[in-house]
Amino acid sequence: MTTDATLASHLQELRRGTVVVASLTVLRTPGYGYSLLETLSESGFEVEANTLYPLLRRLEAQGLLTSSWNTDEARPRKFYTTTPQGDAVAEALRTEWARLDDAIGDLSTDSVSTPGSDK
Amino acid sequence: MTTSLVDRYVFTALRRVPEQQRADIDRELRASIEDAVDARIEAGEAREAAIERTLLELGDPDRLADSYADRPNYLIGPELYPVWRRSLMALLTIVLPIVVVVVAVVQVLAEDAGVGEVIGSAVGTIITVGAHMCFWVTLGFWIVERTGAGKDDLNRPWTPKDLPRYEPGALTRVQFAANLVWPAVLILAIVLQQFTFTDEPLLDPANWSFWWPVLIALVVLKGMWAFWVYRLGAWTRQVAAVNAVHGVVTGGVILYLLASDHFFNPAFSGFNGTDVDLEGWISVAVMITTALSIVYDIVDVARKAEQARKGLGVKIPGTGNTYTAG
Repeated sequence: MTTDATLASHLQELRRGTVVVASLTVLRTPGYGYSLLETLSESGFEVEANTLYPLLRRLEAQGLLTSSWNTDEARPRKFYTTTPQGDAVAEALRTEWARLDDAIGDLSTDSVSTPGSDK
Repeated sequence: MTTSLVDRYVFTALRRVPEQQRADIDRELRASIEDAVDARIEAGEAREAAIERTLLELGDPDRLADSYADRPNYLIGPELYPVWRRSLMALLTIVLPIVVVVVAVVQVLAEDAGVGEVIGSAVGTIITVGAHMCFWVTLGFWIVERTGAGKDDLNRPWTPKDLPRYEPGALTRVQFAANLVWPAVLILAIVLQQFTFTDEPLLDPANWSFWWPVLIALVVLKGMWAFWVYRLGAWTRQVAAVNAVHGVVTGGVILYLLASDHFFNPAFSGFNGTDVDLEGWISVAVMITTALSIVYDIVDVARKAEQARKGLGVKIPGTGNTYTAG
């Protein structure tokens, strides 16, 4: 495996799961599949349509999102909204993300001494 | 043509989606595709190209359907894979050889098969029985994987107690089982050859008045000896001594019968029809094999007992390590 491929696979590992947090956060205001895809990619989340659309249905099945069809416009669209339960989950995930970010920040500054490094 | 491209894509994806979700996914997927196509057209692309690029981005409709249906893209997942591998290995390395040997023995006794035939059917048995084992085990695990029934029983959590015991002496459960299976097979073969396999029994029927029962009793004793060692969990001097006595007696009986021409049935016709003294050669071969394997067994058990007495470790195959109990 080249360094690029290694990096790519680690990045993918790291990003997995961020789409869920982002979607639950964005959908506190109702949105449909393509609008969410646009919003996410504009805010810097790399997500494929074929990952996002099935994911939305899974989150709905888990009770974290609700959906309703809006047929007022020419093109009927399925709008998703984060449920209170989904909001709670998103909040917990964001807290965890912040905690990890802090922890990694602490690691990369030199304030932490590795056990045994002063031998 | 271009509209039919979207239709074809959606239809293909829906084929593999559960029926109750189909109508909903149909509408949603079409709306999403139209949205994406519109966005591309607004950015200046031609409609046909926009549709193609959009579908290309969505990718293989079968994969999309799997993703919608939340179907796993594997036969047996990482949770069950180690259990599946261990089960299959046990079947292929322990049960399959036993089946092959039994089939070969039955063939020799029942059909007077030649060496070529026996090898041919052994290869055939390995392939067909092996394929059956692979198939049914995998099917079973696949069902468990998909339904989840019995998954916890198969995949019970590992504890340090599951580690192999590497203790000098103790017969492992597999070795003990092998030590019981072989006597059973041997006794069955001795009894059945009298009645079924051939028109005339291979072994001398006159010996049923004394020698064959003695031999069967000796085989039973060897099984009981294995049980004793298994329960004892150690190779001791007594174990080695009993084994040596048993080996000498068993070897003595077989060698005496062979040497005095009382082993094979004089009426058995399978040895006739060749110019050489086939029965004589086979007797010599059986004598040498019997003597060598019994001597090896006696020495092997004695060596293990001696090692255990001195507290020497046992070599663990495949690692180059030596384990000393302590």
